[in-house]
Amino acid sequence: MEYARKPDPVDVLIVGMGASGATAAKVLCEAGLTVVGLERGPWLRPREHFSGDEIKFLNRTYLWSDPRVNPRTVRMDDSETAVPTPFSMVPQMVGGGTVHWAGWLPRPRPSDFRMRTLHGDIEGASLADWPITYDDLEPYLSKVEWAFGCAGLDGADAHEPHRSTRYPTPPAPPTRAAKRFYEACEKLGINAMPIPQALITRPFRGRTPSNWTSFWNGYGDPSGMRSSTLDTFVPEALATGNLDLRSECYVREVTVGPDGRARGVVYIDADGREVEQEAKLVLLCLGAVESARLMLMSKSRQFPDGLANTSGQVGRNATFHEYLFAVGLFDDEQPLYGFPGNYISGGSFQFYETDYDRGHIGGALIGASHVGQPVNWNFPGRPAWGGAAKDADRDFYNHAMKIGHTLHDMPVETNRVDLDPEVKDAWGLPAARITHKAHPNDIALAKWQVDKNVEILEAAGAWKTIPVYLERGRASGNTCHQHGTVRMGTDPAKSVLNEWCQAHDVDNLYVLDGASFPTATGVNPTLTIMANAWRCADYIARVHAKGREERLPQDRPTTAI
Amino acid sequence: MTSMAEWPVVLAPVDPDATDRLFFTDHEWDTVEAATARIIPTDHDPGAREACAVRFIDRFLSGTDHVYAAADGSGFLRMSGKLADAWRARIADLQETYRRGVRELDAIAGQSFGADFVSLTDEQQDFVLERISGAPKPVPVVREADAAAPTIQVYAFDDGLSFFDALVAHTRQGFYGDPVYGGNRGRVGWDVIGFPGPASLKDTMDGTYSVRDYYLQEYDWAELIPHLRQTGDGAA
Repeated sequence: MEYARKPDPVDVLIVGMGASGATAAKVLCEAGLTVVGLERGPWLRPREHFSGDEIKFLNRTYLWSDPRVNPRTVRMDDSETAVPTPFSMVPQMVGGGTVHWAGWLPRPRPSDFRMRTLHGDIEGASLADWPITYDDLEPYLSKVEWAFGCAGLDGADAHEPHRSTRYPTPPAPPTRAAKRFYEACEKLGINAMPIPQALITRPFRGRTPSNWTSFWNGYGDPSGMRSSTLDTFVPEALATGNLDLRSECYVREVTVGPDGRARGVVYIDADGREVEQEAKLVLLCLGAVESARLMLMSKSRQFPDGLANTSGQVGRNATFHEYLFAVGLFDDEQPLYGFPGNYISGGSFQFYETDYDRGHIGGALIGASHVGQPVNWNFPGRPAWGGAAKDADRDFYNHAMKIGHTLHDMPVETNRVDLDPEVKDAWGLPAARITHKAHPNDIALAKWQVDKNVEILEAAGAWKTIPVYLERGRASGNTCHQHGTVRMGTDPAKSVLNEWCQAHDVDNLYVLDGASFPTATGVNPTLTIMANAWRCADYIARVHAKGREERLPQDRPTTAI
Repeated sequence: MTSMAEWPVVLAPVDPDATDRLFFTDHEWDTVEAATARIIPTDHDPGAREACAVRFIDRFLSGTDHVYAAADGSGFLRMSGKLADAWRARIADLQETYRRGVRELDAIAGQSFGADFVSLTDEQQDFVLERISGAPKPVPVVREADAAAPTIQVYAFDDGLSFFDALVAHTRQGFYGDPVYGGNRGRVGWDVIGFPGPASLKDTMDGTYSVRDYYLQEYDWAELIPHLRQTGDGAA
C-alpha cells in the first residue's frame, strides 16, 4: 500500500456526498466552517454526462452501484447463508440517490414520529418513537423545499399536515394516465393530488424547466429541471470556498483517538493510495447500509464491536420500503401513454393513517407512475418471447398504467446489516450482509394496499390488472430507501444517536442519513433525510462548533396527532 | 487512473449498415440471429432480425468498448478503474455463456432434427428454444388473472443470467435500445410499439427532443381534484 502525504486537519469531515452529506455541507460551509467531503463514487457533470440512454442508465450500471464492485449479500434469517444479491443498490456518486431518482418529495406525517405511542409494543417489532416530532422538523422541511426546488399543488391534499410555506413552483402538467387516475379516484371518493416532487416547473434559482424527454426515473437529468444535490447544494457549498470535495475516495475506517473520540478517517484515493484525514467532527452520510457497514468495519480498542456500538444496536432495525404495485392493461382505442411525464402522475394520502379495520397498522402513500421506456417497461409476468411477447408490447405499451406504494415496513431488531464473513468488495473489504424477513404487518399492509390499487385501476377501466405482492415475506430490495440501522433515541442502551444524530458514545461523530430513522415512515424518505440533516447541521454550526451543547426537552408541547 | 468523469470518448456510433463481426464467428452470428428472430419474430411488423439485434449483442460481447455510449451518442466511453475490471469480468462470463449456448442450441437441434439450429424451420427452432428454456413457448396475454407476478427492479443487471435469459434480455435491448449500440436499426423497435424516441442521444440533452405534446394540453386542476373546489386553491 502506498501512502499519500497527510493533509491538514479540518473542522468537519463528511463521508458521502449524497442527499444528506451535500445538505450538511451546504449548511456548514455557509456557516463558515471548513469542510472536507469524501465521496467514494465519481463526480459527474450533468450537462456533459447525462442523456436519455435506456441501455446505459437502466441496464448497464452507469449510475447504479455495480454489484461486482460493491457486492451485497442477503438472507432471510440467521439459519441461511447469505447470497450475493443486488439489494437497494443506491448510486454511489456525488449527489447520491438524488441523481437518478424520480424526485418523490412528500412530507412525513406527525404520526410517523410517534408509532410506539400510538400502537404500543407490536409483537415481533421494535417500534420506537422518534426523539423529535413533525413540529421540530417542519421549518427544515420548508427550508429544503425552497432551497432545493419542489413542485406541488397548494390545497390539493386533504390530509396534509401543517405547512409554514407554500410550494415553490406548481406541479408538472398531468398526463393522460394521470387524468385517468384522478377520475378513478373521484369515482371512489379518494382524495388524489400531485405528489410533491423535486423538480421545478418555473424558472427558479437560475434553473429552467426544460427536460420534457420523459427519460426520468433512473436517468440523470442533463437540464437541471430535477432537483439533485449534485446540481444544487454541492455547487452552493463550493461557492463558499469552504468545501474541499474529493471524489472517488473510499473511506475504509473511522479512526479513534486514545480519548475514544473520532480522530478522522482513512481512505483509499483514486490512485489506490491510503490517506489519513483528521477532523474535529466526523459526519457519516453514506446511506443506512453503508454507514452501518463503515461503523462495523471501524473496530478499535475502545470499540471492539464497531464504532459507537456499546449498545450493540449498530446495523439493527433496518427497514427498506419494498416497492409494491399493480399494473393495469387497457383495451381502449385511445392510447393512455405510459411513458410521458416526470414519472409520478398523481397520488393519495387517503390510506396513510392506521385504520384498525384493515387488520394492520400504518398505511401507504400511493402513487400512479410511469410504466417506463421500451426495454424495461413494467409488465410483470409479460410473455418472454415469441409472437405473444411481441403482441404484449405492441398491444399494451401505450395502454398501461401502474399504481404503487413503498411499504411502511416495521422495524425488527433481527433485520439488520452486518459484515459478510466471506464475500469481499473490489477493495477486499467485507460486503454488507443484509438479514431481512418481513414482519407479518408488512405482508398484511402490502396485500391490502395492492388490492386497493387494483380496485382503483379497475375503476379507471383496466381490462386486466396484475398485482405484485410481498411474496413469502421476502423483500427484493427494489428501492433505494434505507433506514434504521443507527437509530436516534433518548436511551443510550437502545439507540446509537441522540436527538441531534450525535453518537451517544462518541460526541464528535454524527450520522445524518436515513440510518437515524427509528421507524421507516410511509413516505419516500429523502425530504425527511435532507430536512433532518439540515436540522442537525444547524445544531452543529450554532451550538456544537461553539463548544456548547443543548438538549431538546422531551416533555415539550407538540401538536396533537 | 482516469476518473469516471474524464473517461475519453472512443470509436463512433455503430454504423447502421455494418455487417462485420467483432466477437461472433460467422456460424455463431447466424445462429444467434436466427434465435433472436424467434424471440421477437417478424410479422406484419419488423422483428429482431430487421432491427439487427444480433449486431447489438456482438458489439456488447466484443469487449468493454461498447458498454456505455457517450452521453451525446458520438461514440463510446473508454472505461478505467474498478468498474472497467468489473465489466471485463462480466463480458468474459457472457462470452462464455453465449459460446456454450450456441453449442447447446446446435446439440439439441442435432439430437432432435439432425441439423444445426440455423437450418431448422421456425417450429423446430421454437421446439429447441422450449427445451433450452425449460418451459413451453409463452401464450398470448389473457384477461384472467395469472399466477403471482414477480416484482421488478428499476435496473436490470446481466450477472448470473442463463444463456436463454441473456438471449431474451439482449434481444429486447437490441430491439428497443438506442440505435447507437447497433440494434434497433432504423428505429424499427420503437415504431412497432409507438414510442417516439429521440433522433439522437444529443437531442435528449439540449431540449430538442420533447414529448411535452403527450401530456394533457389543457387542464384545470380543480376539475381533476374535487377537494380543490372546496378549498378554492390550486389556481394555475
